[in-house]
Amino acid sequence: MDATPLMKINRNNLEGKVKDMAKSKEELLQQLSDCVFEMEDENAADAAKEYIDAGYEALDGVLKGLVDGMNRAGQMYEEEEYFVTDLLVCSDAMYNGLEVLRPHLPLDQDADAVNYKCVIGVVEGDTHDIGKNLVRIMLETAGFEMYDLGRDVSLISFVEKAKEVDAQLICLSTLMTTTMPGMKEVVEMLEKEGLKDKVKVMIGGGPISQAYCDQINADGYAVNAIGAVTLAKELVGMA
Amino acid sequence: MHEQDQMTPNERLQAFIKGEKMDRILAMPILVSISHRVAGITHREKRASAELQAQSQIDCYKRYGNDLMIIEYGLHGVGTALGSEMNDPEDSLPAIVHHVLQDLKDIDQLDFDKTKKENDPWFAKTLEACEICQEKMGREIPTGVLITGPFTAVSSIYPTENLLRATRKDPASIHRLLRLCTDALKDIYKEYIQRGIIIVMCDPIASGTLLRKSQYIEFVKPYATELMNHIHELGGMCCYHICGNTTKIVMDMVDTGPDMLSIDNLVDLEYVKGQVGKRLPILGNVPPVDVLMLGSRSDIFESVKTCILKGKDSPKGYIVASGCDITQNVPVENIDYMMEAVRKYGRYPIDEN
Repeated sequence: MDATPLMKINRNNLEGKVKDMAKSKEELLQQLSDCVFEMEDENAADAAKEYIDAGYEALDGVLKGLVDGMNRAGQMYEEEEYFVTDLLVCSDAMYNGLEVLRPHLPLDQDADAVNYKCVIGVVEGDTHDIGKNLVRIMLETAGFEMYDLGRDVSLISFVEKAKEVDAQLICLSTLMTTTMPGMKEVVEMLEKEGLKDKVKVMIGGGPISQAYCDQINADGYAVNAIGAVTLAKELVGMA
Repeated sequence: MHEQDQMTPNERLQAFIKGEKMDRILAMPILVSISHRVAGITHREKRASAELQAQSQIDCYKRYGNDLMIIEYGLHGVGTALGSEMNDPEDSLPAIVHHVLQDLKDIDQLDFDKTKKENDPWFAKTLEACEICQEKMGREIPTGVLITGPFTAVSSIYPTENLLRATRKDPASIHRLLRLCTDALKDIYKEYIQRGIIIVMCDPIASGTLLRKSQYIEFVKPYATELMNHIHELGGMCCYHICGNTTKIVMDMVDTGPDMLSIDNLVDLEYVKGQVGKRLPILGNVPPVDVLMLGSRSDIFESVKTCILKGKDSPKGYIVASGCDITQNVPVENIDYMMEAVRKYGRYPIDEN
C-alpha cells in the first residue's frame, strides 16, 4: 500500500482538528513565548496572527508572550547557555511578532503610568553597534521607551534628543578607546545644562569599566545587556 | 639595543626558543595603535605611508626596547580590498562604514583577486613597511604583522551582526565565505612569511564574548588550523590572538597549532598556563585600558609583576605582553613604565619577591 495518502489524510486531519480545537489563551501565549525563546523567527508572525485572530488582548500577547520569551532568552544568556548570536535571532522573532501585534495595541494606555524614556547610541567615531543593539532590545523588553540614535552619533545629539523627548536615561556605548572620551563630554554637557540630576548616564562597551565610569562621573556601568536592564531600572527608579 | 638590556631582541628570542639563558624576560607589548603617537605623527599620516609605518615601529623600539615590531595589515584588509568602504579619520583607527557584501546571495560577485598585492595598495604598502623594518632593524629585532584571522576577515566583507545571525540561519553561505577568505589569507600570509615576518593572527570576532564554543569549533577552528599548517609549510611562525574572554576555547585555539598564544586580560593567565602551558609559549596579559591607559605608574608595575609571577614557570615559556593592542589614548610614558617594570621584575634570575 502506498503510504503517502495515509500521511496526507493524517496531516489533514491533524490540521483540521488543531484549527477547530481552539487553543487556550495560555497555550497561545506560551507559543508566542516559545517562538522567541526557541529562535523561531520565521514562525513568530504566524503565532502572533493566530493569537490576535483568536481574539485575545494584544498587550498580553506582547508582555506575557513575546517579552516573556525574550526574558527567558536573557536569563539563558546570563547563565551562558545562550550567546550573542542566539539573542539576536530571538530578538528577530520578537520583533516579527511585535509587528503583527502592534497595530492592535490600545492607543491610550494607563494615563497614570510613567513612561520611562531612554536615548541610546554608539558615540561619535565608532560604528560597532552589536552591544548597543542588544542593550536596546533588552531595555525595550523591560518596558523602556527607546530612542535609538544609531552609531557614530554626534555627542550633542544625545543631549538634544534627551531634552526633546524628556528622557530619564542616556545609554552610551563604544568598543574603541579612541572614542571613550566622548562619553565624558556627554556627561559634561549635561552638567553644563543643569540636567545631570534629571538625566542619568549609563555607559558600556568592550574597554569600559566601573573605574572609567567613576572617573568620568557617569551614573552607572553595566558589563552586559542583562546587567544593563537591572542598572537602568535602578537608575530611573522603575519598580 | 636598549641601553639597559644586554641582549638584542633577536638574541633573546633565539635563547628563548633554545631554552638558553636570557638577560631578561621577553616583552612584546602590542604597540600598534599607539605607534604614531610615539613617532609624533597622526594616524592618517602613518597609514598613508610605508616609510612612516615602519618608522613608527622603529621609534617604538628605540624608545622602549620591546622585543617585536608589528606592522599592521589589520582586521579590515580583506574587506577593503574587495570593496568595503572605510571612513578616513584624521587621527584614529578607521572603521568600516559600508560592507561590500549585503546579501549572501551575492557571494559569487566578490572578486578575491583584488586581495592580491598587485591589486591592493594597502597590502603592498604594508609589505613595503615590513621590508623597511627588516632592512633597517632586521639584524636586531624581529618584525611581525598584525593580520586578520578567517572569521574576522568574513566580518570585514559582511556585516558582523548579520554574520552572527547567519551562523544559525545560513551556515552553508558562511562556510563558503570562510573558504574564500581562508584561501585569500593563505596567499596574503605567504607574502609576509617570504619576507621573514612573524604572523600575528588576530581573530577578535571569533571571541568567546560573541561566539559559543561549538560555533568556534564549527566556523573558526578548521580554517584556523588550515592556515596554521600553511604557515608552517612555508617555514613561518604564528602568534594567535583572540580578544575577549577565550577561557572556554583556549584548548581548541591551541589545537589549531599556533607557535605562541596571546591572551586577553579577560582570561586568567594562571588558568591558561595550567591548560596549555605545556604545549606552547604564552603571551599576556597586562590590561591595556584599565592599567596601561587609566592606571598609575605603580598600577603598571604591580600588573607587570603579577603577570610575571603567574607566567614565569609556564613549562614552554612566558612572554610579557599587553592583553590586547595598545591604543593611542595610552600615555606614551606608560609604556616606559611597563618596560621598566619588565626590566625590574623580569631580570634573570627572577626574584620571587
